[in-house]
Amino acid sequence: MHHSPTKSIARKAVIAIMTADIPHDLKKKGNQLLKLIRPLLGGIVGLFLIYRLYVILIVEHPYGPDTWTRLLIAGLILGGVYSLIAIGYTLVYGILFMINFAHGDVMMLGAFGGYFVFEALNALKVGIDAKSNFLNVYPYYSIIIAFIVGMTVAALTGYFLEKIAYRPLRKAPRLVPLISAIGASIFLENAVELLFSPQLRNYTNPDILHRGSGWTIVINHSNVIVPYTGVFSFLLSAILLVIVYTIVRKTRLGRAMRAVALDKKTAALMGVDVDSTISQTFILSGALAGAAGVMFGIHNGLIYYYTGFIPGIKAFTAAVLGGIGNLPGAMLGGMFLGIVESVGPAALGIDFQLKDVLAFVILILVLIFKPSGLLGESLAEEKL
Amino acid sequence: MKKFMKVVFVLSIAAFLFAGCAPKATLPAACTSDAAGCAVFTSGQTVKIGMGAPMTGGNASYGIDISQGATIAIADAGDVKGWKFALDAEDDQGAAEGGAAVANKFVSDPAIVAVAGHIFSGATAAAVPIYEKAGIPMLSPSATNPVLTTTGSKVFNRIAFSDLMQGPGAADYLYTTLKVKNLALLHDGTDYGKGLADIVSKQFAKDGGTVVDEEAITPGETDYTAVLSSVASKSPDALYFGGYTAEGAIIANEMKQTGLEKAIFFGDDGTYGADFLTRTGSNGEGAYASIAPVSPDSPAKDKFNAAYKAQFGKEAGSLSPYTWAGYDSAAALASVIKSVAFVDGGKLYIPRTALITAVRNLKGYVGLSGTFTCQSNGECNTGSPQFVIVKSGAWVPADKQ
Repeated sequence: MHHSPTKSIARKAVIAIMTADIPHDLKKKGNQLLKLIRPLLGGIVGLFLIYRLYVILIVEHPYGPDTWTRLLIAGLILGGVYSLIAIGYTLVYGILFMINFAHGDVMMLGAFGGYFVFEALNALKVGIDAKSNFLNVYPYYSIIIAFIVGMTVAALTGYFLEKIAYRPLRKAPRLVPLISAIGASIFLENAVELLFSPQLRNYTNPDILHRGSGWTIVINHSNVIVPYTGVFSFLLSAILLVIVYTIVRKTRLGRAMRAVALDKKTAALMGVDVDSTISQTFILSGALAGAAGVMFGIHNGLIYYYTGFIPGIKAFTAAVLGGIGNLPGAMLGGMFLGIVESVGPAALGIDFQLKDVLAFVILILVLIFKPSGLLGESLAEEKL
Repeated sequence: MKKFMKVVFVLSIAAFLFAGCAPKATLPAACTSDAAGCAVFTSGQTVKIGMGAPMTGGNASYGIDISQGATIAIADAGDVKGWKFALDAEDDQGAAEGGAAVANKFVSDPAIVAVAGHIFSGATAAAVPIYEKAGIPMLSPSATNPVLTTTGSKVFNRIAFSDLMQGPGAADYLYTTLKVKNLALLHDGTDYGKGLADIVSKQFAKDGGTVVDEEAITPGETDYTAVLSSVASKSPDALYFGGYTAEGAIIANEMKQTGLEKAIFFGDDGTYGADFLTRTGSNGEGAYASIAPVSPDSPAKDKFNAAYKAQFGKEAGSLSPYTWAGYDSAAALASVIKSVAFVDGGKLYIPRTALITAVRNLKGYVGLSGTFTCQSNGECNTGSPQFVIVKSGAWVPADKQ
């Protein structure tokens, strides 16, 4: 479609950022100046944003409460998906200090897993009525099966990704696994394009989760619809976030993960199986991405081989925003980004096409004033 | 020994140089006098007509459909003095980069003499200068952006109607027939979508209506609820969308959950087609689109429709509004090629500049979708759009509902 240039530019930008290396002496001289200029520029942009907020919210207030509610609903749903994917980035970063660039594509594979389950169950006839199929006779089972398959496909992808693309490079400089991850991302996209064709695919939802229908609240004499699919996505991502947090905090696996994040060698000496812990981390992050993929399909309806790339980039941004390596940070960053993207352009009175610009401006502002992200990269002791 | 090798080397270089000076096989006078030369075909080769079209991605139905129409045209065209025609349809993804890539591929193939395309305006705009240099005439069935015929290009022609007809037609229809007073516009930021939305906006204001909002979206996304909610706050009677099916279908769906459930969705010739119906389902009911001028029913059209159904298993015109135009552009090019091609010494020659002139001079060509006479700027269709509406899961003419 129209994405190939954006795709390659985004990739190049990431490589450029990661490889940027300012000569040491230059860095020293520039540091004094930068220390002054950066907060100054940041302050100016920040003040401008506040001024625009004042103009739109207090002086012009073009939108009624119904519109704000709609925007907030859109933001929360988007934020839930971003959070789930961002957690995957942060888990892997916390342990290996590498950005798993193919994470968005793992999500896309999960979305395809769920898609094929729904298609198969839709074709499966149940009972005497010619029209009744498994999908609508047993909608709850269908949804559960779709999530199990989607999460399994994505978890397996994550597992093999680590085994094939990252493990052989574990001792290499940090840049090398990153390049390998970008390669894996391109490979996964093209493999899916060749396997399943580049056509857009329409997610067949069970009738109880019909896209576009939902509860109606009347605000300001206008019907605000809270879509079933959106509430479902939001609740599910909240539940999964709690589960992941519990796993990392309270279980044996979680303790092993934290130990490996702290110090691989010592963890190994204490009897922690480092390789298997890392594999399990990838399985966990893959499963979350898979769930996010199926949710994305159910709520947004259209998927294709490139579906994962943009949410992947956004979730990476969310993870950095919240403080990469920090679990609650990723959740917060995801929610924050989702809400900024949908509410922000309206609140500032700018064109909605500029929502990505806004998201990244805020990322830069946060990084200027708090380089470690909103919740800060936790110290090694508290990592994960 | 070394010296001997040197001598051999120098002599062979000299031999190559002189070989370059050797008299070439004499070309017919029509070719030596032609600025761009001739396409030459020895016996058994095929004369190729190229087509750059979106064959993959969210708007693939356009490329697939139009190239299928052209395939039938090539089969019907027979041969040119014993040489067979062939259609070379390549995927340009409907995007500018793809359009340039396909055009570069075509100009490097000496067997391509003309291009029935491209399909989308953005891809076409990128391809025109490349064909201009190589001397390959174009006859697009569907690139409607008005700017395309204003650049002074010698090679670009179209049998598609211009958005200068489509846009004001749609604005008038919205204002006069549908009695819309407040109109909001969305576009996808492409040459085609933005160009069309701007034209509609201007004409609608001129008619006396109020344009309450005009917003751009980012193509390729699947969630436009935020921008639609903001549009809804201006409470428009109708939402005009300038863009293609991929985003159009999503917008028609999401209008139902963002407070725009009472507003009319009004699309363009890029949002028409079977894909829109399958992706919107019941949400698409009552959506409008403006499409190419009515093509008169004729025995030739009936014959084509039957052939299309038999060969591709779908009704002609169900995938895109340009099935017949696809046939016409390939068929018209084939007939023009026949008129300028000549045989000399067992070879077929097609003088390229003469072909460009002949396409531009197309006059009174009777096709399936109308009768075409090209003007000096390459505009070959002056028809007005017709309007269709989704009724019970099918596109039907709006005036017959």
